[in-house]
Amino acid sequence: MSISAADAAARSSQESSPVGGGRRKPIAVRRRRLGEVPAAWLLIIPVLILFAITVIYPLVETIRLSFFDIKGLGKPKFIGTGNYIKLFTDPAFRNTLWTTLMFTLGTTTITVSLGWFLAMLCSFAPQRTLVFRVMIFAAFGISEAVSGYMWISMLRPDQAGLLNSVIGLFSPGFAHPWLGDPNTALWMIIVAASWSGVGLPLMLCFAAVQGIPRTVLEAAYMDGAKPFAIMRFIMVPLSMPGVRVAIFINLLGALRAFDIIYVLTGGGPVRSTETVGYFMYRESMTQFKLGYGAAATVILLVAVMVVSIPAIIQRTAGAK
Amino acid sequence: MIGRVPNWIVWVVGVIACIWVIPIIGIVVTSVRPPADVTLGWWRLDNIRFTLDAWMRVWDEYPLANAFWTTLWITLIGTSATMLLTPAAAYAFHFLKFPFRRTILVIIINAFVLPVQVVVIPLFQLWRDTGLIDNILAVLIPYVGLSFAWSIFLVKNFMEDFPKELIEAARIDGCGPLATFWFVVLPNSLAAVFAVGILQFLWCWNSLLLPMLYLRTNIPLPVLLTRVSGTYDLNWDLRSVAAIVTTIVPLIVFLVFQRQFAAGSQTRTGAKE
Repeated sequence: MSISAADAAARSSQESSPVGGGRRKPIAVRRRRLGEVPAAWLLIIPVLILFAITVIYPLVETIRLSFFDIKGLGKPKFIGTGNYIKLFTDPAFRNTLWTTLMFTLGTTTITVSLGWFLAMLCSFAPQRTLVFRVMIFAAFGISEAVSGYMWISMLRPDQAGLLNSVIGLFSPGFAHPWLGDPNTALWMIIVAASWSGVGLPLMLCFAAVQGIPRTVLEAAYMDGAKPFAIMRFIMVPLSMPGVRVAIFINLLGALRAFDIIYVLTGGGPVRSTETVGYFMYRESMTQFKLGYGAAATVILLVAVMVVSIPAIIQRTAGAK
Repeated sequence: MIGRVPNWIVWVVGVIACIWVIPIIGIVVTSVRPPADVTLGWWRLDNIRFTLDAWMRVWDEYPLANAFWTTLWITLIGTSATMLLTPAAAYAFHFLKFPFRRTILVIIINAFVLPVQVVVIPLFQLWRDTGLIDNILAVLIPYVGLSFAWSIFLVKNFMEDFPKELIEAARIDGCGPLATFWFVVLPNSLAAVFAVGILQFLWCWNSLLLPMLYLRTNIPLPVLLTRVSGTYDLNWDLRSVAAIVTTIVPLIVFLVFQRQFAAGSQTRTGAKE
């Protein structure tokens, strides 16, 4: 990089017309240049405008709206914390909190533990498992709308659903509406979300293990450590940074989940698979209770912030 | 790695990997077999015929071509805008001094925690009042605006390794702040800008919630797919083709650039220092 950087610097000082003159003719009249502060504002002003429209304004407005009663196009009425009180007395919302917790913990546990386990196995034979790793990681690159559709077809309620057919091998004629039964729908969404998610922890933990210096492993081998001991005392502890990152990414992603739930069940049956992130959409965009939906969004925001506290502290401290 | 690797390890990973691609194989097979042959499941072998009928018909049955162009168009504009604006801002935050620099920076890079649900209601009202509903700007503006939290963080982190001597040299040679950015810093930050571009490309292409709410006539592929994929629509072959068309471009981009993606996605969610 340093060579190309030097090259670019050289090019810029020799060829580009507005700045090149200074070097060869030091006495030449200095061109007027933009000062540091105006230049900085010029560079960040488009970012600031877009950021203000899409982050600052929505954030403030969502919080403000959560204190109002708004029905459709009617005039907003200030009701203080009324929406929040209503939320916590609404059985549908309380069920939503439970669903969100189950979904978040379920997907994170399955995704991270399976991904980590596979990463450990792959670390023993990095070359021979390359193709398999790509196959599992590929699911992560498929958009949620499409993976949702794939799982709809896998979980069809009749014999043409693969899951029913596999179970049908043991009990002929088995047919269960996996996504239509409130007792199984949420679990199927967790399975579908985990299916796409496993690739990321796999890659993160695998990269962490691959980053262990070869000399460390060779030293352990020379000291007579068996493969299991190497795994237990070197690979497992040194893969933990990867695990932490993966847990955080999954928690954050699962709390915000919308697409996969919308595609697979649309929150149903009987609102049994609505998470907070979906409840907010339903109340504000299909029932047009904007204030009520905004209050649910604020609850979601608080949950996301709590999970992100370590990352926020880290980022703020690192911003120099 | 060390010593002899037992074969069962490779076998376990291999079997899991094969189970993992079953849903993908499922829709590919469904898309090339006549519907009559697969009423009992796409894996049935009792009547094997190959047909591209669904691949021909789908373009007439669903507005798939139109959705494809809409998606491509939105994605390309959204990606280029982010790739253009991000390095400029990251450069200003990292190399220039101006009032409130650190405050603004801290606010921007911490916005990564915001779920997209936060923008849904306020922007819906804003676009309704300004008449932008059903205009691609209604999704482009949030796509670009919401990307800065992670993209500026990623590019600025990359710039931290940039040799200060070069900036000094450029200044002594007569470069102003803008010329330094354009001729010295930008050409050497292309790797980071490219990584940002890939993440943004995938995110724009795959998003569902915002275009579903803000676009009506020209809808992108994921929205079209959800409209045709209710459980009781029986055109499994056509819908499988639509699903493949929806995901083939981002999947290829993802697989080709997976290294950049894995590195970038850590930064995107703020888990990396």
